[in-house]
Amino acid sequence: MASVAAAELPFVRVPRRRLRLGTVGVTGLLLLGVLAGAAVLAPWIVPYDPETISGAPFERPSARHLLGANDIGQDILSELIYGARISLTMGALAALVAISIGTVVGIMAGYFGGWVDIALMRLVDIVLVIPFLPLMILLAAYLGPSFWTIVIVIGVLVWARPARILRAQVLSLRSVEYIEAARALGASAVRVLRRHVLPAVLTLSLAQFILAASNAILIEASLSFLGLGDPTTKSWGSILYYAQVRSAFLSGAWVWWVLPPGLLITLATLGFAFTGFALEVVLNPRLRR
Amino acid sequence: MRGIAILAIILVALASTPVAGQAPAGGVVRIAIGVDEGTLNPYTYRTGYPGWNFMTMVYDTLYYPDPNNEPIPWLVRETRVSPDGLTWTLTLHPNITWHDGRPLTSDDVRFTFDYVRRITHSRWTPTTRNLSAVEAPNPQTVVFRLMVPDAGFALRTLADVPVLPRHIWEAVTTVAAARAFTNTVGSGPYRVEEIRGGQFYRLTANSQYFAGRVKVRELILPIVRDATVAFTALKAGEVDTGSRLLSPELVAEFEKTPGMKVVRGPGFATTLLQFNLEHPLLRDLKLRRAIAYAINTQLMVRLLMLGYAVVGAPGYMHPASPFYAPGIRFSADKTRAVAILNEAGYRDRNGDGIREAPDGTALRFTLLANSENPIRIRGAELVRTWLKDVGIGVDVRVMDDASLIDLVWPDFDVCKGRRFDLAMFGWSAPVMTRPTALRDLFHSNCQTGTINIGGYKNQQIDRLGDQLAITVLPERQKQLAATMQKIIADELPVHVLFYQDVIMAYRQAAYDTWVFQKGQGILTKLSFVDPPKR
Amino acid sequence: MIRFLAGKGGQYALVLLFAITLNFLLPRMMPGSPLVFLAGEDVSFLTEEQRGALVNSLGLDRPLWAQYGRYLFQLARGDLGHSFQKARPITEIIGERLPWTLLLVGLSLLIATLVGIAWGALAAWRRGTMMDIGSLGLSMFFESTPSFWLGMIFIALFAAGLGWFPIFGAVTPGAVLHGWAHVSNVAWHLVLPLATLTLITIPGMFLIMRYSMLTVLGEQYIATARAKGVEERRVLFRHAIRNALLPVATVFMLNVGFIVSGATVIETVFSYPGVGRLLYEAVLNRDYPVIQATFFIITISVIVANILADLLYPLIDPRVRRGA
Repeated sequence: MASVAAAELPFVRVPRRRLRLGTVGVTGLLLLGVLAGAAVLAPWIVPYDPETISGAPFERPSARHLLGANDIGQDILSELIYGARISLTMGALAALVAISIGTVVGIMAGYFGGWVDIALMRLVDIVLVIPFLPLMILLAAYLGPSFWTIVIVIGVLVWARPARILRAQVLSLRSVEYIEAARALGASAVRVLRRHVLPAVLTLSLAQFILAASNAILIEASLSFLGLGDPTTKSWGSILYYAQVRSAFLSGAWVWWVLPPGLLITLATLGFAFTGFALEVVLNPRLRR
Repeated sequence: MRGIAILAIILVALASTPVAGQAPAGGVVRIAIGVDEGTLNPYTYRTGYPGWNFMTMVYDTLYYPDPNNEPIPWLVRETRVSPDGLTWTLTLHPNITWHDGRPLTSDDVRFTFDYVRRITHSRWTPTTRNLSAVEAPNPQTVVFRLMVPDAGFALRTLADVPVLPRHIWEAVTTVAAARAFTNTVGSGPYRVEEIRGGQFYRLTANSQYFAGRVKVRELILPIVRDATVAFTALKAGEVDTGSRLLSPELVAEFEKTPGMKVVRGPGFATTLLQFNLEHPLLRDLKLRRAIAYAINTQLMVRLLMLGYAVVGAPGYMHPASPFYAPGIRFSADKTRAVAILNEAGYRDRNGDGIREAPDGTALRFTLLANSENPIRIRGAELVRTWLKDVGIGVDVRVMDDASLIDLVWPDFDVCKGRRFDLAMFGWSAPVMTRPTALRDLFHSNCQTGTINIGGYKNQQIDRLGDQLAITVLPERQKQLAATMQKIIADELPVHVLFYQDVIMAYRQAAYDTWVFQKGQGILTKLSFVDPPKR
Repeated sequence: MIRFLAGKGGQYALVLLFAITLNFLLPRMMPGSPLVFLAGEDVSFLTEEQRGALVNSLGLDRPLWAQYGRYLFQLARGDLGHSFQKARPITEIIGERLPWTLLLVGLSLLIATLVGIAWGALAAWRRGTMMDIGSLGLSMFFESTPSFWLGMIFIALFAAGLGWFPIFGAVTPGAVLHGWAHVSNVAWHLVLPLATLTLITIPGMFLIMRYSMLTVLGEQYIATARAKGVEERRVLFRHAIRNALLPVATVFMLNVGFIVSGATVIETVFSYPGVGRLLYEAVLNRDYPVIQATFFIITISVIVANILADLLYPLIDPRVRRGA
């Protein structure tokens, strides 16, 4: 039940105090920077290789293992740092898939209008209606619940919302003078789209991309928790899955095994959301009015 | 390190003579179960364990498995078997009544055995196939006529098929109707008082039970799908015990919880690495042997099960099973694995860390694991690590149970072939306790070897298995089983990784006289009622 | 108005048909046989012909188009079929589950909306203050929190830890309760899932209300009212909040559409016997008719919510009314 992005509602305008949103954006970028930095530097900053058995199963936190060890004795802190790689990459890739589809559909619908628009928007409605849980199981069952399956499934499920928003943007562009002029002068649709519409929409796509990434990280975590993700990939979601199924709550291990990955998911989502939110306001001309 | 094993095989003290009609001792026991078991009648319950066990609290069988899984007479007072083993004459206890007050007679028994053969039931159709006739010469007497002698008749047939009330089931004439039939009038120690769909069952003691006093007044069975939630609820005192085995990491935790008792015994369910023996590479015995040597099952038991399991024996049978052939053991040896691979010509020719077969095919396999079983997934990861160490590439693929079955055992019919390389698999306890298990597991004829999912073929095993099925003498059975185990241990159609111990926990304050059924646990009818006196 | 409905109505019908068809096809494309769920674990002992009879009794051996036709026909009669696994009419099963979901999701939506409106209005009214910034941060934080994780933490703290609330279920199993005792038992079980779901839903409402409110507060007529010396409180209630509610209504209606499926994860965490969990279990069990029926209910609820929103707009938004 994600909330609807503010930009979807035509009557919403943003307060004039742009400065505040700048702070939000900076906070977001900072969060993302730290997490991405950890992800990139993972091999150099982890205390142990997260795949090797470096402690006893269910070892409690100590100087050797700051966050203890998991159910087969792998260092949890190292898992979390490597998890940043998996979760951020997964979120970004899934968002990329979603935005690519969303941008194409949104532009086509907005620009061509008429039957194309109706057909594509009905498709959007349908996608928004499909209960995605069974779809996920279906695809996971056929393709195996691998990293890429999840990327593609999330991408395919998340594109509809950005498509709607981009369509609205294109609609408002269509009546902009220079585009009308270009059309009147007989420029081909492809040319108008490429030269005028796409550049004007790309910035908004970027904001939508970042919002979709924040969404994707949350979805991945939920899927992993339900046991529908790939438990052999060390994402934050799958760390939580193991903590849950190996009874971390009963042994008190949840304090070091459940809290940290959950907080990291929240922070990453927040980082993306803040950044996307700020970008959207800065970049969306309709909101800037 | 991890403590002294608490061994608690509690046997019922058979002291007082129970009196029918006596009021139950009182108390309510709440037992968390994992799945919806329909209405708990013989056509709607779902799982072999604990579904069957609870169904048999409501319905009685002619015999019942005792704590050692030996059949003991239940509805039956006396049994005579003809010298040729083909005619079984059973005399029922007098004064057995259905929950609705009508008498249970031999006519109901005759009706039942006819019914389960006519109205297909997957569990009982095969076990009643050997019957040529069932007769009810008088209300107390039933005569079973068999086509061929059957050593497992008392356990697999008489102690398994619940007797149905004819006056109720007569009107139900199709499989679909039977599966949708909600009536639960039985003769057992409990009657179904309330079913809250998807939430819980409430069973109340049958005060008129023929065998005597029912020890717990009320059983409440909440359905808790998630294992962790069930254990949390047990620890918090919201339930008194559960049908699930305690996860290894919880044993120590529960042992130090006040008021909680942990019981432990050998478990007959297996966790194994299943080979596809039709795979062009895996059909090579040397490769299978190398794989087996490379997997450190001892370490696996320590890491995954924290020691609460028995390391797998290569002949399939658990060392605590009466059929176990002593001396069949196996220990991992990485250097030996490497030596076998080198000798057989599996070498890494292109330097990518993965060996190739002499014909150039890389030793890369896909290993399937069930996404609902985290221990098997972790096990698969360990297998992957250890096989990589000897130059065999493994790609672990996790999928939900139904999808995995579709690849390993399509339509649950081994005649339909298989589409996998390696799989983390396992069989439940009954596959260990029935004497014919080895035949079911390894017979090459897909109609006979109904669970030979690897497609193993060996004529000697087929012959021995066929002989085993018609052998009645226990000593001879054991001999045959031992020979089969030796062959299996040599040829490794499967590699048994470990047998998880049966560990259960319960709140002593709620109820304390549980009976532990070997290899299965405490959810047996014997926990709530003593066997009938002759 | 009629033309509008006819056009939109046609489109919704298409969506519905598409969804129904997908409902029918998706489960049948899944790998894995439903047989084990029909015949139990011992299905391997069945002979070929017995399996055939089972498959036949469920109509699974008929050609796909025939199964589809039968499915549509039954649906048209309001018959959702029988569950494979539970061998009971699905209307009955859903009938048991739906009230729990409606109670949980409905109540949480209601609370979240009211809280979101009040909180959002207040934050906008005091924009730029610490309260506003703090609220923004807090709501974004909860918006970014995985719902299952929040639920797990609640269980660890308040159920398993402090023992204040039960760990699973919607009522105490086996308890025979009536009247007030029953109600309080249900409420006691409802607290944690409801709190989790509500906390996750509030931020969306809050953010929308806050922005909508800021927009309205920037409008000319508010400035005019203030200039005319209308009391602040009166401006807030009479003019601003009222006019700012429309976008909240939109989000509310969107959420109403997901009322049936919206709590799948929460229901799983708390073992709450709702429809979301039913769907999840049915998918794992390959119980085709239940999957179809649950999909159907979910689809219908989304479409109904959309239609309601279309019908309600002209009533609450003067601009749309003028346009029509």
